[in-house]
Amino acid sequence: MDLLEMKKAHKLLARMDYELGKVEKGYTNRTLYINLSDNTIKTKPVTEQMKEIFIGGRGFGLWYLWNAITEKTKWSDPENEIIISTGPIGGITQYPGAGKSLVVTLSPTTGSVMDNNTGGYFGPLLKFAGWDALEIQGKAEKDVIIYIDGNSGYVTIEEAPLEAVDSHLAAEQFTAMYADSEEDKRNVAVVSSGRGAENTLIGLLNFSFYDVKRGVPRMKQAARGGTGTVFRDKKIKAIIVKYSGVKGDTNGPADKQKIIDAGLRLHREIYELDKVQNRMREVGTAHLTEIMNDYDLLPVMNFQYGSHQDAVKLSSDVFKEYFTQGLPDGCWYGCSMACAKAVDNFELKTGPYKGQKVCVDAAEYETVAGVGANCAIFDPEYVIEANFYCDTYGMDIISTATSMAFVMECYERGIINKEITGGLEIKFGNKDAALELIHQMGNGYGFGKIVGQGVRRMKKIFAEEYGADPNLLNDIGMEVKGLECSQYVSKESLAQQGGYALANKGPQHDEAWLIFMDMVNKQIPTFEDKAQALFYFPLFRTWFGLNGLCKLPWNDIEPADNGLTDEPAKVPEHVRNYVDIFNGVTGKNITKEDIILQSERVYNFQRIFNLRMGYGTRKYDIPPYRFMGPVTKEEYESRAERYDNQLKELGYDIEGKTVEEKIKMLREYREDQYQKLCDAVYKRRGWTPDGVPTLETVKRLGIHFPDVVELISKHQ
Amino acid sequence: MKIVKTKPELCNGCGACMTACSKTRYKVEDPQKSAIRVKENSEKPGSYEIIVCNHCGECIPVCNTEAMHRARNGAVRIDDVKCVGCCICVGFCPNNAIFTHPEINEPIKCIACGACTRVCPTGAIYMEEK
Amino acid sequence: MIKVNKEDMEYQEGMTIEDILRKKKYTFRMITVIVNGRVIPKDQHSAYRIMDGDNVDVVHIMSGG
Repeated sequence: MDLLEMKKAHKLLARMDYELGKVEKGYTNRTLYINLSDNTIKTKPVTEQMKEIFIGGRGFGLWYLWNAITEKTKWSDPENEIIISTGPIGGITQYPGAGKSLVVTLSPTTGSVMDNNTGGYFGPLLKFAGWDALEIQGKAEKDVIIYIDGNSGYVTIEEAPLEAVDSHLAAEQFTAMYADSEEDKRNVAVVSSGRGAENTLIGLLNFSFYDVKRGVPRMKQAARGGTGTVFRDKKIKAIIVKYSGVKGDTNGPADKQKIIDAGLRLHREIYELDKVQNRMREVGTAHLTEIMNDYDLLPVMNFQYGSHQDAVKLSSDVFKEYFTQGLPDGCWYGCSMACAKAVDNFELKTGPYKGQKVCVDAAEYETVAGVGANCAIFDPEYVIEANFYCDTYGMDIISTATSMAFVMECYERGIINKEITGGLEIKFGNKDAALELIHQMGNGYGFGKIVGQGVRRMKKIFAEEYGADPNLLNDIGMEVKGLECSQYVSKESLAQQGGYALANKGPQHDEAWLIFMDMVNKQIPTFEDKAQALFYFPLFRTWFGLNGLCKLPWNDIEPADNGLTDEPAKVPEHVRNYVDIFNGVTGKNITKEDIILQSERVYNFQRIFNLRMGYGTRKYDIPPYRFMGPVTKEEYESRAERYDNQLKELGYDIEGKTVEEKIKMLREYREDQYQKLCDAVYKRRGWTPDGVPTLETVKRLGIHFPDVVELISKHQ
Repeated sequence: MKIVKTKPELCNGCGACMTACSKTRYKVEDPQKSAIRVKENSEKPGSYEIIVCNHCGECIPVCNTEAMHRARNGAVRIDDVKCVGCCICVGFCPNNAIFTHPEINEPIKCIACGACTRVCPTGAIYMEEK
Repeated sequence: MIKVNKEDMEYQEGMTIEDILRKKKYTFRMITVIVNGRVIPKDQHSAYRIMDGDNVDVVHIMSGG
């Protein structure tokens, strides 16, 4: 369809003209509020208190959402919001990984607050257009777009009936529609979702960035917890921002040289060392597949096992052949780590776009491990196809994969059958059935309608409607807090069990990834050591989300002499870089300890947000047993030597015991260990034994707002 | 094409090349804004190192924006309109021959104009076919 | 007997760091090897001979996702 025709069909609902802003020291000092129920568009000031306590990005999102909703609000209520914000550092071009957008909303799957950190150009261009954050409340009646013109200075809400909903088309159409020329396309950033977000609870948002060399808009995902489902429920088809004129000083840094110096140190390091370290420039995070397989950490068959002989078929060398090489795959300017790989001219074999040749942003580790190994499908072209459809349908591929792996295990164990799946033989390894299921989920029919609700709801449905044993389902359904687990096996690392299950939004590795420190290096043997790691690392990593930063350039490259430092796991030189760029942008004078303090405020606030929504206590931090140990006989037997030895060392008499008896003993021990871990972590974090921040803690952090105090007082 | 070549053993460290370069490129006499740099060897006082781009082009594919390109005359140049000042090219230059200055958004890089060679009193830099 | 990351490993005459890494399937590249408290540079891993009773730490830096 013709773009002009599409644009002509737009109906203007509201328009606000505004004075172009100027970014000063990382902030424009105002945010954009839009209500789609009554078509309000207005400006809000950013207060000093907001900057001091919440910094930006995810912090701003949490603060706005906190003020927008009540404890009774459901994800689909009009007062729920989607807030997008980068943060003060976001938008600098001189340091790798500095263009992230943070998205906050109430999640359909967890019922509590969700945060996502994604690439793409939207967050920085939004700020340069004059806005530190975009806050969207209300629900439109018909499909709308929001357009922000950062060079002419206006915002519109428009009905847009004709453009595609699916993201690979929507991004292309809107980019072309709002760019003045081919050269102008890189100045347009689109947020969109897809039909799957309407038909499942695990919808995602795609954030575009125009790849000038390939000549296509590409996409990064704010994927977790159904953010796209909220977006489509609000009837938003796309949000488009346009700003031309990005330069090295557009973010208004206080001391640009400081940022350049830090950036050059890291660029040089990546130039010299990436090829002998993680090869991020060459294969992106796909290098992790073979590593995780070697260390028995690659989830196989719904996290039952940690490795598979066929994993080599999904290794980075295999994907390297598909990736278009020699192109700078950064999702924001200046990222020399360039992990965002793409496959060009991929001919689709299934679904509504069958036969078409597309550019796929594929494939990251989570995707390969999830729809590949975890479903025991060791076929790279299937992985790329699944990657394409999950993205363009707007479905979180981690949740899709973990849900699918769960369904496959249920099918193999006879919990569900062909009658229930509508004829789908959804066994491990069946790629045709897997792709069919993805299409069913995306298009909202058949068994896909059930799977698209995620693991938590499936457990309930299988138990209540199909008479399945709820205990077994609870043991093998890999979700915590309602969010599906990302793709690492945490069974042999107690610290990582905490890293996953204590995470504020649910089991996502972006809070803490401690498996090597804990399980391999054995650097954190005691509960106190683990608690300290679960204090420091989640806080350190929270800070990326306050500032618009990516985690990868922190520790997916390390200086040559990092191993000689006191604390190699922290990568001290890179921490110094972060202190420098924060101070370089804001003109403040923080220390590395302040990084932790800044995060601690927001992290605790988010924990309290969970409490406010009816969660946020110890019982919501307990993972299914498969996070901790072997649920089934086959799992035990796959690591029998390890488990037997552990039991013997612990003084259990295992002579003549059956596998079932040994599973029980091990479980008793490990579940107890997990509780003790919680005790230690809560204590270290300044929380009560039930996992609620103490009054003393919130006072120390300066987040003792009256409603916060009132709420936690009931739990002291 | 002709590019700037060096004979460091002839260099007397006068710095005229840097002044000429910054004047040609940025209309100021400031060695910190020069695309050619002369540095005294810390171990051998009185001897100098001359750093200038050899137009090898390794920086072209690392540029995110296609600002870095090979111009028609063969020189590797930066298109200031496209450049966003990320400085990846600076960090990825095999010879460390691209520079930055906080007052200039784009990296500072030799365009093979030859202005520096015309003021060199000793013949330590000169234009020659690549 | 030697210790590798706090666990016992059978000592074999003439074994090198590279042998240990292979045996433990330590394929991750971002590692630092420390023998009796001393960091052994990567380029010596294939030649460095381990002695009986040595305490070897192979410190993997985090990474992940």
